[in-house]
Amino acid sequence: MIRKLLSLASPRGRSLLRRLIGWIVAGAILQGLAFLALVPWLRALITGDMASADRWLIVLIVIGVCYAASFWIANKLGQRSATEVLSSLLDRFGDRLVDLPAAWFSKDRSGEMADIATRGTVFAASAPYAIMRPVLSAFITPATVLVGAVFLEWRIALVMAVSVPLIWWVFRWLQVMTARFDRDQVVAVGESSSRVIEFARVQPALRVAGSSSIAAGLIDDALHAEDRAKRRMHVGGGAGIGVFGLVVHIAIIAVIILGTWLALHEAIGVASLIPLLILVVRFTEPIWQSGALGGGMSIAANTLDQIQALVDEAGLPEPATPATPEGHGIRFDDVTFGYGGTPVLRHLSFEVPDGSMTAIVGPSGSGKTTITRLIARFYDPEQGVVSIGGVPLPELGSSEVLRSVAPVFQDVYLFDGTILDNIWLGNPGAGRQEVLEAGRRARVDEIADRLPEGWDAHVGEGGTNLSGGERQRISIARALLKNAPIVLLDEATASLDIDNERAIQGAFDAVRTGRTLVVVAHRLQTISTADRIVMLDEHGGIAEQGTHRELIAAGGVYARYWSERVDAAGWRLTAAQQVTSTSTTSQMKEN
Amino acid sequence: MFYVESRIVLIEVGGADVLARAWKAWPMASSAGVSTGSTSAGEGFFRAVRGKLAIIVVFSLIGAITRIFPLIGIVELARTLWPALSGGPVVAGRAWLVAVLSAVSLVVTFAASSISTEISHLADDDLQLDLRSRIIEHLRRLPLGWFDSRSSGAVRKATENDVSALHQLVAHTINDVITAVTVPIISIAYLFGTEWHMALACILPILIAGVLYIVMMSGGQEKYAQYDASIVRLNAATIEYVHGIAVVKTFGQTGRSHQRYRDETGRFVDFYGGWMRETTTTQSLVEIVTSPVVILVYLCAIGSWLVSTGVTTVPGILPALLLGIGLTAPLLNLGFSAQFIRNAVQARESLVAFFAEPETPQPDAPLEPSGHTIAMDRVGFSYDGEHDVLHEITTRCAPGSVTALVGASGSGKSTLARLIPRFYDVGSGAVSIGEVDVRDMAAETLYSQVGFVFQDSYLLRTTVRANIRLTRPQADRQQIEEAARAAQIHDRILRLPRGYDSVIGEDAHLSGGEAQRLTIARALLTDAPILVLDEATAFADPDSEAAIQRALSALAADRTLVVIAHRLHTITNADQLLVLDGGRIVERGTHAELVARGGLYHDMWRAYEASRTTGPTASTTTEAHQ
Repeated sequence: MIRKLLSLASPRGRSLLRRLIGWIVAGAILQGLAFLALVPWLRALITGDMASADRWLIVLIVIGVCYAASFWIANKLGQRSATEVLSSLLDRFGDRLVDLPAAWFSKDRSGEMADIATRGTVFAASAPYAIMRPVLSAFITPATVLVGAVFLEWRIALVMAVSVPLIWWVFRWLQVMTARFDRDQVVAVGESSSRVIEFARVQPALRVAGSSSIAAGLIDDALHAEDRAKRRMHVGGGAGIGVFGLVVHIAIIAVIILGTWLALHEAIGVASLIPLLILVVRFTEPIWQSGALGGGMSIAANTLDQIQALVDEAGLPEPATPATPEGHGIRFDDVTFGYGGTPVLRHLSFEVPDGSMTAIVGPSGSGKTTITRLIARFYDPEQGVVSIGGVPLPELGSSEVLRSVAPVFQDVYLFDGTILDNIWLGNPGAGRQEVLEAGRRARVDEIADRLPEGWDAHVGEGGTNLSGGERQRISIARALLKNAPIVLLDEATASLDIDNERAIQGAFDAVRTGRTLVVVAHRLQTISTADRIVMLDEHGGIAEQGTHRELIAAGGVYARYWSERVDAAGWRLTAAQQVTSTSTTSQMKEN
Repeated sequence: MFYVESRIVLIEVGGADVLARAWKAWPMASSAGVSTGSTSAGEGFFRAVRGKLAIIVVFSLIGAITRIFPLIGIVELARTLWPALSGGPVVAGRAWLVAVLSAVSLVVTFAASSISTEISHLADDDLQLDLRSRIIEHLRRLPLGWFDSRSSGAVRKATENDVSALHQLVAHTINDVITAVTVPIISIAYLFGTEWHMALACILPILIAGVLYIVMMSGGQEKYAQYDASIVRLNAATIEYVHGIAVVKTFGQTGRSHQRYRDETGRFVDFYGGWMRETTTTQSLVEIVTSPVVILVYLCAIGSWLVSTGVTTVPGILPALLLGIGLTAPLLNLGFSAQFIRNAVQARESLVAFFAEPETPQPDAPLEPSGHTIAMDRVGFSYDGEHDVLHEITTRCAPGSVTALVGASGSGKSTLARLIPRFYDVGSGAVSIGEVDVRDMAAETLYSQVGFVFQDSYLLRTTVRANIRLTRPQADRQQIEEAARAAQIHDRILRLPRGYDSVIGEDAHLSGGEAQRLTIARALLTDAPILVLDEATAFADPDSEAAIQRALSALAADRTLVVIAHRLHTITNADQLLVLDGGRIVERGTHAELVARGGLYHDMWRAYEASRTTGPTASTTTEAHQ
């Protein structure tokens, strides 16, 4: 654990930590020495040798003062190193997050990361002081006493020495066993709490089910499995700690019995025995309790592992000198890509000419959004090449790619600031007028008009004060302000209310002019007006590509998809008459 | 946290604040089952463990008392062997007796405290299982409306955090408190019984530590509140940082968010460091004064002085040397858990508050509805008791008819739809089905009458089959497959790795539209005569829109329907349209009537039509939509 911490700390933190550990060790040894010095002092006192007793008392006092000093210094160092390690862990953590590839953020990590930042780093920073000290003391002090006891009374030292490997072995065994039970327990707890949350989430459906045996069975199983895992841990772990305690106690009892026997057979002076017994009995507790501290250590080590894993997370390869793209056409050459498992895209090749608009359509799960992520270089393909302006993205480098691309994704995150601030993010160098202009073109002005604070209205954390459509408009404004030559647009799937539908249409039109546009399209209007359409199939390949007219004329997959969508758009709900489609489908098909 | 906690300990232990609060959290426990007038929701909070409390207390007491015996045994052994020093005779039998008794009491104290720890952990298991089961029971009885707003966060907190936080209270606190009180009291009593000078000397370090505690205590609570607040801020800053970083990265610069994170971590480190610096000196003093080495050296010096001045003899100082060192340890140990106790007390309070959430009242004498007519009579409703979101809603929906609710967002149409399956109870007026007020129906009766399909698809992580037959567990294979076929999802299910036995979320990954069709299959199997569709045409998955529509059409056949729709054209054939504005029905009639009337609906329809047909790029699709 110390090694893990040292590798993560700043140089200053490292030196503080080394000194801290040095002082903790010194303190633990001094503590052992103090107890050892008790023996000659008490012996002198018992035998009435007051001069010798006074000498040993002075030794005791010197040790006591040194111990207090070492304790004091260790505390100060502990405080400084905790602050220093905390600060360097948080910095390290923050810097690392910025460097991580965008792909890493495609899953919501905020809960996990907030936990590391608030609980993990504080715990790890205080661990050297709060956990290392008791654990080190619990082993070093008795070890010092043991070594000293060899010189004072070898027979008792021998009994203690014999028990050491046994105690150590049981301690390790206990740790391993606890860790195993703990793992099982963590799994069972995770399972049951996700069941309870599920139970709450699907409650409306469950009310309809009444006292449904199915749902009750699921939740009962999970709760009882958790209970069993906890009991196993408590019974097993309890037994383990019991065995550990038992071994320690047997060693002590052996010392008491042996000591009594020796004293009765006058093999050892009472004056020596009594202080030795004091030593032994007083040390039962710290050793026994170190069992529990081992757990704290492994928690701290886990947190450090989490941060280390973050540090070790691989980034994408970046070029030494980024190449310059020629134009902003996009090309996929035999691209295959999957998120670790089966490929989402297989041998995909298509081209998006500079300045054109390409609509990507296809069944759900066919990899439409993945294509936009590859263009923004959230990931590199497993096979094949994605290029912008004739340059493969790894040669262009992530920062150059991100400079040329403005993404408008479906689920837009807004900062807890004003509307204006959130648009400004697209280009912090822009003037206020430019920001307002971008906002106006993306129809954000209509949102601003609606709100009392106008452009300075707060959007709420993550933009929760606004609707999905409104968030997407702000995100479009952001992209307009960035003025990147390539815009990637993921259309909202949920149907929008009328106002938003119109406003977003207007915003799209503003984005189109003079840019290369790749749209994951759902709206018929968007699809039919694209320069090119790439229709994906269910297996990660391209079913068809061409213009709307060409594809309709071909009468293939796309034509069927189109007519089905058009039918759906005219669907009406009636009780008497099941499905009514009033659209002029035939007319569309000719279109 | 331990570093911080060890401080808080020192801040609070002296004030016995923790103890008082922990005690308050045990209304049942403190009076061993006799109610002490706590709130009704708090009654029986610890019912699952009450029987075990006495056992835990007894074993903790035995453990605490016998803990001192081995030390006393050594003192006695020394006294027994003492004559040997001056060459006198030693009673060997007595020496052995004392040695064996010491060994036995070591075993007893170890066994008793192990048993008490073990039982209290098992009691904690009982309590956790009991509380989680009660949470489940309570969830079944809460009004469905409760789940709209805060469900997952609150439920997660209750089941995961709060129940687990109680661990400290049940599994550790009793033992810790008993030890912290018993060990020093018995030790000091024994010391005074043997040699009062040394006994006094033993008390001095405790007094000094006590005074230092009080010094530290001043302002400690406030500091802790500040610490909590700064943790909350750091938490928020990290969440924003992580959420925002994806956005920030794609815009090619890492300015704002990073700055805010840096500021916040900087502030946090400054606060933490400052707090540590302020308290380190006092804390170090306390720890040094109470450390075994310093107390030992101090007692040696006092003992030396007392022996050399002839006030006492060597055997007189032995008890203090053995017992004096261990006086503060149990108190410190209790202090170490102060923060956990504080969390446990808070967790209990929040669980009690959760259990106090009012449940949906059930009728004493449930009535059976006759027919499937929905009637609303002067219905008013308010979420907060102040601002009415529905006023004077009166309407009837005939069996087999389609009623569409139309209006802008916030007009109250979703709320109105949710009153029918009793997600909420009306504030005034009444909602009835088949001439019976929904509040006078048993829940099973109501839900056999009203089915609903909302945007969320409410799937459980179990087999597809179990999900479809959730509401009718006795449905056979053929009925399930028929429902799936009608809901246009049968073929998709067969393509799953294990067909109907595939588990949702494990080997069955369904798109939004597919999940919705599965829910529709379930609703078909439930076969309730009344169906409420909330924005059923706002599809999660436009690419399977047509399939969902076919499924909905199958579901809608021969039922009384209440529909909320944004896409107005989908409900133009409805038997009646209710146009809501500001929580009131402002217009009602058929589509044709309302368009002809030229009122609010007319305007909405015009705007809707325009949005579907205009726009600079829409020319190619214009005809398609008409």
